[in-house]
Amino acid sequence: MNAIKLWYHKLGSPPYFYVFAGYIQPWLWTIAAVLAVAGLYGGLVLAPADYQQGDAFRIIFVHVPAAWMSLFIYGVMAVSAFIAVIWRPKMAEVLAMESAPIGAAFTLIALVTGSLWGRPTWGTYWTWDARLTSELVLLFIYLGVIGLYHAFEDPRQGARAASFLAMVGAVNLPIVHYSVVWWNTLHQGTTVRYFGPSSIAPSMLWPLLAMTIAAKFYYGASLMQRSRVSLLSLERGKDWVADIVRGEPTHG
Amino acid sequence: MAAAFRAMLQRDLLLAWRRRGDALLPVLYAVMVATLFPFALGPEHTLLARISGGVVLVTVLLSMLLSLDAVFRGDLEDGALEYLVLAPQPLALLVAARMLAYWLVTALPLIAVAPLLAYMLGLEGPAQPVLLLALLLATPLLALIGSVLTALTVGTRRSGMLLALMLLPLAVPIVIFAAGAVGAAQQGLPWVAPVAWLAAALALAVVLAPLACATALRIALDS
Repeated sequence: MNAIKLWYHKLGSPPYFYVFAGYIQPWLWTIAAVLAVAGLYGGLVLAPADYQQGDAFRIIFVHVPAAWMSLFIYGVMAVSAFIAVIWRPKMAEVLAMESAPIGAAFTLIALVTGSLWGRPTWGTYWTWDARLTSELVLLFIYLGVIGLYHAFEDPRQGARAASFLAMVGAVNLPIVHYSVVWWNTLHQGTTVRYFGPSSIAPSMLWPLLAMTIAAKFYYGASLMQRSRVSLLSLERGKDWVADIVRGEPTHG
Repeated sequence: MAAAFRAMLQRDLLLAWRRRGDALLPVLYAVMVATLFPFALGPEHTLLARISGGVVLVTVLLSMLLSLDAVFRGDLEDGALEYLVLAPQPLALLVAARMLAYWLVTALPLIAVAPLLAYMLGLEGPAQPVLLLALLLATPLLALIGSVLTALTVGTRRSGMLLALMLLPLAVPIVIFAAGAVGAAQQGLPWVAPVAWLAAALALAVVLAPLACATALRIALDS
């Protein structure tokens, strides 16, 4: 227990985190790549075509993991933002701020693939469906967080302000979702549902799960890489960065 | 503490009164935007009447957004904001006075002109009082939430566009419920539920927003 606690506190130190992230990063990239290749092969080649949607359904192997990640990353960002605002450790700020662009990218992918899928299935690229609208609002929240972070001259101050916004957004997100659902039922709603109550066939399920886990590992790898770069830039006045620039080995 | 609240409110209202022309700008803007809609969509009465409630609500929201930027700017520029943060009275209380003054100066004129705009667009009958009620609940909510966001951007240079980006997701539920109430009233349906939701949100925001705004100011000023 004590060793874990010590390790956890060490991770809060930028030089130690830099070395640790550099160590696990290749593993995360490798696992993400292997799972993504397996999942894409399973999903695009091995899985049979859907009896209703034909081959159009195959986009779910990208769309569904991206949509899940858009919410998952927001959760991670909101928790780190909460920690950053309350206890102000530097690493929580870095992790929250570097999560935001990745989350925004996944949200955008989910929106684009969703609308590409909607064209042959629903007959339109865009409809004001509750899920689509909530996802669009989520993208705006992400963009607001990123914009606020970069609007400050002092990155730490920007990170704290943007973290606060991320917390406000976390409270707002369920409100938006339920109000949009309410609004959508007040108007004429879309009648086509994603999957319906029927369960998904195993030959389609395993590639989907593989892609989901691949997306998680990709997020981890990308977050590690982005955080390392961000740390180098934030700590550019410190000795340990100077050591790295000079090519001397660091002892985190 | 009540004296500090009153002094703050008095000061803000007096400052607004000395420059009363500024308070008219959002109203002018709202009138302009609402007038442009019939030109863009054609003078067909049924279409305009159907969208009138939504148009007025969005117009009011945009005019408030236009003036939100100024909530703390004057105090930031002359350094009074630092004194407010350092004052012995709780910052949340002083901020609440500022929010109230902002609402009185900006939103009340808009609410006064909104029924006229709505009538010009063809909103009639029982929907008119519902629109007024929805505005009376939605504008303070927007003022409270908007002030929190403005406080966050206080330390930045270019905050206008950013403020719009940040306010949009938070304004979505307000617009949905306010416009939903007006739309339901127009169709003769019960409209109490969305209005009650707005009132509940306002009650929550009156308590939480000043605290959040004080925190945001402290973060933005880094103290």
